[in-house]
Amino acid sequence: MTTLLETDGLTRRFGGLDAVSDVSVTVEQNSVVGFIGPNGAGKTTFINVVTGFLKPSAGRVVFDGNDVTGNRPWDVARAGVSRTFQIAKPFRDLTVRENVALGSMFGPGNSRSVAASLTDADEVLERVGLSERAEARPGELPIADTKRLELAKALAMKPRLLLLDEVMAGLRPAEIDNSIDLIRSLQKDGLTIVVIEHVMKAILAVSDKVIVLHEGKRLAEGPPKEIASDDRVIEAYLGERYAKRVKEGGDA
Amino acid sequence: MEQFLQATINGLLQGGLYALVGVGFSLVWGVIHVVNIAHGAFVILGAYVAWKLDGAFGIDPLLGLVVAAVLLFVIGYAVQRGVINLVINAPIWMTLLLTFGLELLLVNGLILIFTGDYRSIATSYASGGLSFGDVRIPYGRLLAFGLAVLLTGLLAMFMSRSKTGQAINATGMDRVTARLMGINARHIYALTFAISAALAGAAGTMVGIVGTFNPVDAGVFTLRSFVIAVLGGLGNMWGALAGGIVLGLVEAWSGQYLSGTLIHAIGFGVLILVLIVRPTGLLGRPYSEARAET
Amino acid sequence: MAESAARSTRIPQPSSPAGWILVGLGAAGFAYLLYAPVLLLESFLRTLGGVFMFATLALAWNIIGGFAGYASFGNVVFFGLGGYTVATLMAKAGWTFWPALVVAGAVGVLFAVLMGLPILRLRGHYFAIATLSVAEGMREIVVNMPSLTGGGAGITIPAVGLEATTSYPGNTGFYYFFLILLLVALAVTWRVSRSRFGYSLRAIHQDEDSAAALGINTTRAKVAAFALSGLLTALTGAIYAFQQVTIYPNRLFSIEFTVLMVVMAVIGGTGTIFGPVVGAVGLQFLSEYLRQNYLELHTVLFGAIIILAVIFLPNGIVESARELRSTKRIRFLDNVKANRL
Repeated sequence: MTTLLETDGLTRRFGGLDAVSDVSVTVEQNSVVGFIGPNGAGKTTFINVVTGFLKPSAGRVVFDGNDVTGNRPWDVARAGVSRTFQIAKPFRDLTVRENVALGSMFGPGNSRSVAASLTDADEVLERVGLSERAEARPGELPIADTKRLELAKALAMKPRLLLLDEVMAGLRPAEIDNSIDLIRSLQKDGLTIVVIEHVMKAILAVSDKVIVLHEGKRLAEGPPKEIASDDRVIEAYLGERYAKRVKEGGDA
Repeated sequence: MEQFLQATINGLLQGGLYALVGVGFSLVWGVIHVVNIAHGAFVILGAYVAWKLDGAFGIDPLLGLVVAAVLLFVIGYAVQRGVINLVINAPIWMTLLLTFGLELLLVNGLILIFTGDYRSIATSYASGGLSFGDVRIPYGRLLAFGLAVLLTGLLAMFMSRSKTGQAINATGMDRVTARLMGINARHIYALTFAISAALAGAAGTMVGIVGTFNPVDAGVFTLRSFVIAVLGGLGNMWGALAGGIVLGLVEAWSGQYLSGTLIHAIGFGVLILVLIVRPTGLLGRPYSEARAET
Repeated sequence: MAESAARSTRIPQPSSPAGWILVGLGAAGFAYLLYAPVLLLESFLRTLGGVFMFATLALAWNIIGGFAGYASFGNVVFFGLGGYTVATLMAKAGWTFWPALVVAGAVGVLFAVLMGLPILRLRGHYFAIATLSVAEGMREIVVNMPSLTGGGAGITIPAVGLEATTSYPGNTGFYYFFLILLLVALAVTWRVSRSRFGYSLRAIHQDEDSAAALGINTTRAKVAAFALSGLLTALTGAIYAFQQVTIYPNRLFSIEFTVLMVVMAVIGGTGTIFGPVVGAVGLQFLSEYLRQNYLELHTVLFGAIIILAVIFLPNGIVESARELRSTKRIRFLDNVKANRL
């Protein structure tokens, strides 16, 4: 399998804190790679550095054989990397359809006209199951649809690599199952997908490979089954839960 | 050399006065996130209050200063509570326009009442001064400087020590959380604006004592407040003092070499440079939203 | 709650029926405006020319402020630079008006790019304050370069006699100049609002990070919007300077011009095509009425009107009229409900 995305010693410091520390990973073409880790593990910072929203303090990002380290966000996007935001960021004064059309309008390689983009948007909306809400404003959507819209915007760009930042957080179990099906079908279409989740269950179900981040470092990497039984991973998670339980107990 | 020394002293003293002008503006910007374009008009209004009290009733300007501050406090509270609070979450140009409308109203109202003539508040003591060789320190300016430092210190202490001050700080950092903690944000905002207006009133009185003023000057004081607030870092009291002194010194020094109003251009140049290079201000309380504020 | 919050900054669709009705009315009005100089008094022509000028300025502000959401409080800098370019070239270098006008436009674009690259990185109040400071600083520079600009005493364009390089067009001439420029500004706005460029500006307005993630070069789009705004504003300033003959820095770089641009765009409706024009027409005639009837009070009243408009009509006349048509009422208090503390 060829490598689509590779990071080499990627590091991002905030003041004295290494939010991402010396992370080297590879994402193979047409695979689904899951990133997990407790809050503050550096997952979102990692995405921000890869997509150009933050400049790395050290290290390299290589996409499809090209060094894209420190490139501006729009350049990374037009190279074929699209992302969602953990806190959905729709364009609130545009319709759902227009929101999605914007992805097609400026996405990689395509210089699509406004009219053509709106047609593209309808296809994508169909795919994620949002067709009925095409003329709604994002503010009128329930949370699950907001997440779908976020995904639709990213898909409309026709990316080669899709970075999904917690698109399943806050969803009901049935909705999570829908998302898992959608990710699998996108993979079948040839997309490469990085899934970041706080919740382990969904990740283990959908990923070919799981990477565990802990305190900014790569703690473990492997197939889902191995990761699920890895002692260090369990400790990292249990440690957090344990601390949480103690804190909650103290407050009550 | 003596000329330079004199310029430095002038700049330092003038800077203290600027600080008093700008500190309230900075407080409002930092806490309420409103750029109060009417701030300069509050300063001038304070000057007219003390001037009128002195001229009509012979009230000593230092007592007049207290009256001006109290009056402006009341006006400030009413303006924030009754008007600005109504649209506080609207896009930023709305609040900018709102305070600009207020400025037009105040400045032109003052022109109608007092005409556009230059006034000054005469005192028996302001004209005297200390002399060291050729270097002179006028009492009036010394008084203004001392008062500026005193009030800034009191304000800084109030903000860090008192419960109300801490409530103001908390509201400035995160209004939603502050409200959850039981802080009445409407009152806190109004109070913050009132304190700012009161300080402007006090500053205006001192402006009248050490020099001349007319309603049209309001704009210049607002613009200086921008510079001071940005230099010092928003909502940072000691920062405003430092910002005021830096502006005073820069103006005084460049006045040695540059003609007339080009000095103002220097002030703006410094402001733009700071905004671009170091948007958190010189003393850098990290208001990181400088580049992320929406 | 969320819905009304959205409405307060909502950008209306360019192809709305209200837009088309206005297009129809505009066509009829346009025919009239072309013949107006034959029908109207010279003094009224001058007033109308002023209305066109402000409408153009408001439309130019609307591109950077209304579409891209960057509230420039220093757009007057382009106005002043345009005016002073024309005045200096005509008075000091003996140029005729038309080439000087072209250079004025170029100066507007160039300055917008140079100033925009560093300053458009700032957001919100910081951008507003920075632009305002640039305008004020530029005025001081112009005041202090008397050999080139005439300084605070002003500069006079030779407009009559042998010295005149281009004969003075008179009230009728300037009426047409301002009318044509307004039509250009309207066409530009119409074009922008439908284009990918316009969509990219709206996206930036609403969420800049999200726009960048979709592949929009936000820096380039913002600078382009600023340059377009600067171009139109500089051309307006250039024509204004020629009309005035003698210009002064305190007038050409007056913060009041900037505020009028913003107020007109806001009162008419930011981000719309006709809003700024409606705002300019309404406010100019209102202002003229106040000036004639309440000479002394007129600025005070003007301040009060701004305050009331911001509180009760922040979506602008165009949007409120649309609302009136669809819901049969204007909810003046919605803004307060959505944005109060």
